Amino acid sequence: MPAQATLGRAYPVRPARRTFLRANGFQQAAMMLPTCLFLVFLTIYPFVYSVYLSLHQVKLTTLNRAVFVGLRNYTNLLTDGLFLHALRNTAVLAVCSITLEILIGFAAAKVFFELSRWRFVVVLRSLYLLPMMATPLIVGMIAAYVFNPTIGIVNYLIELLGGTPVSWFGEPTTAMAAMVLINVWQWSPFMMLLTLAALTSIRDDLYEAARVDGAKWYHLVWYIEIPSVLNVVLLGAILRIIDVLRFFDVVYVTTRGGPGDATMVVTLYAYLQDFQFFQVGVGSAAAVLILGISIVVTTFAVKLLRVVEDA
Amino acid sequence: MPKVRAKDVGLLAAALGFVLFAVAPIAWMALGAFKTTAGLISIPPVWPDFTYLDNFSQLLRENYPFLLNSIVVTLGATVLAMVLSIPMAFGLVNFKLRGTNALADWILSTRMMPPIAAAVPLFVIFRNLGLLDNVVALIIAYAGFNIPFAVWVSMSFLRRVPKEVLEAARMDGCSWFQLLLRIALPLSISGIVTVATFVFIFSWNEFLLALFLTTREARTFPIVVSSFISTGKVYWDLIAAASVIQILPPVVFTLLMQRHIVSGLTMGAVKD
Repeated sequence: MPAQATLGRAYPVRPARRTFLRANGFQQAAMMLPTCLFLVFLTIYPFVYSVYLSLHQVKLTTLNRAVFVGLRNYTNLLTDGLFLHALRNTAVLAVCSITLEILIGFAAAKVFFELSRWRFVVVLRSLYLLPMMATPLIVGMIAAYVFNPTIGIVNYLIELLGGTPVSWFGEPTTAMAAMVLINVWQWSPFMMLLTLAALTSIRDDLYEAARVDGAKWYHLVWYIEIPSVLNVVLLGAILRIIDVLRFFDVVYVTTRGGPGDATMVVTLYAYLQDFQFFQVGVGSAAAVLILGISIVVTTFAVKLLRVVEDA
Repeated sequence: MPKVRAKDVGLLAAALGFVLFAVAPIAWMALGAFKTTAGLISIPPVWPDFTYLDNFSQLLRENYPFLLNSIVVTLGATVLAMVLSIPMAFGLVNFKLRGTNALADWILSTRMMPPIAAAVPLFVIFRNLGLLDNVVALIIAYAGFNIPFAVWVSMSFLRRVPKEVLEAARMDGCSWFQLLLRIALPLSISGIVTVATFVFIFSWNEFLLALFLTTREARTFPIVVSSFISTGKVYWDLIAAASVIQILPPVVFTLLMQRHIVSGLTMGAVKD
């Protein structure tokens, strides 16, 4: 056993000393404490500071002149039409894209699963994964290029097929549809991978037993495969909801929330409050609400996940 | 070779369809990098000339310091995140202390922190430290945002190191640091490299925090690329070349490490 051989060679044997326990504690602290402090400095402190800012009327340019306003930033947000639109758009984006991602991901996983006897299909699967890790900003750039109303390839292809060109980012509905499409394009591969992992782990005897009982393919899908992939898909959906709440880079370079406020999403709203209008109190309140929504949705979804896993 | 079934043909056609849908937009932009500005905006589209490299040379001539920033920030953040995460993960797996589970859960929960909620506070912290528009600030911030991920996934790899081996070495008088550096790390190095690669890609792709924390000198490559489109005129030639450069590391990474992507992106919750 190689590990044993390493042990024999490399370590000087030291006798246990009285100070050992204390040294032990010191070592353990030395390994964990710096990381904890670092995380407190970078997540807890900013969070507390965000909450503090969200309770004040304060400009980014004059941070030391903060006026305490209690919950007024929050109540203002919940009556601000733009923020409510941003919330609604984010919800629409989440529901539409994640639903499509699950469906397309499942279909793609089925296809790659059925083809898994062929070695070369691994190459195709890798290629299918490419969008997933692509820099989101560049995804936005690519979208701006292909959806461009005059020079874009998408409209060119539409016209080639006899359709009428679409002014993608110019109309509220099509701009939103484009955002959904971009998300679906980038993240269906993720759902495919999750579903594929679950499909691969279904035991063969389950299929055999079902076939012996004369089950058709749609019986297999409905009674064996969908229940088997349900929990990973739910997990994927949770991660994607958190992601959609952070959706920013693509809208930042394509529509900037427009036309009008058709593609205004919550993170972009907070960014504009902070850096366009320097109203960091309002921006922070929006950011705290985004975190709150993430926590509520995740807690709920994790509960649902437990129920599914226990069933 | 397995026998070809009739339905395999249909399935293969479907698979090719999925691949085409996924790859075509990236490929289209990449082809554009080898076209002149006129070629880039020409309808009907023209075929690129792969000997035409002016877009790349013009882009890099003006913007290589920002590409360098991206490389420095990404490498720095990866090293810092790993140096802080590996001992933490090792401790959470091996130390028999009260509260390690709660500590691990707390670390996982910090993953929920949206960057936008930390952006203004970090802006203020780094301004007070005189680190605004400094790559050091980005290295610290990116490392912080990747530690929850790195700790959690490293834990799943470090758990596979046999406990007996560690205990035997401990009996022989090894310190915890020796256990980590000479036994646990070598035995789980492939997993740790996977984690580091993920941190590298996440940092490489980051945009929002860089937008808040840099103004001129320390701008990363994505920030500069975003300015090619926002100033009224759109520089498609520079955008196309920059897209190729920016997207190359994630593409190579995906092709090489696709086996680990599932467990990586689900924080180890799903095994591949």
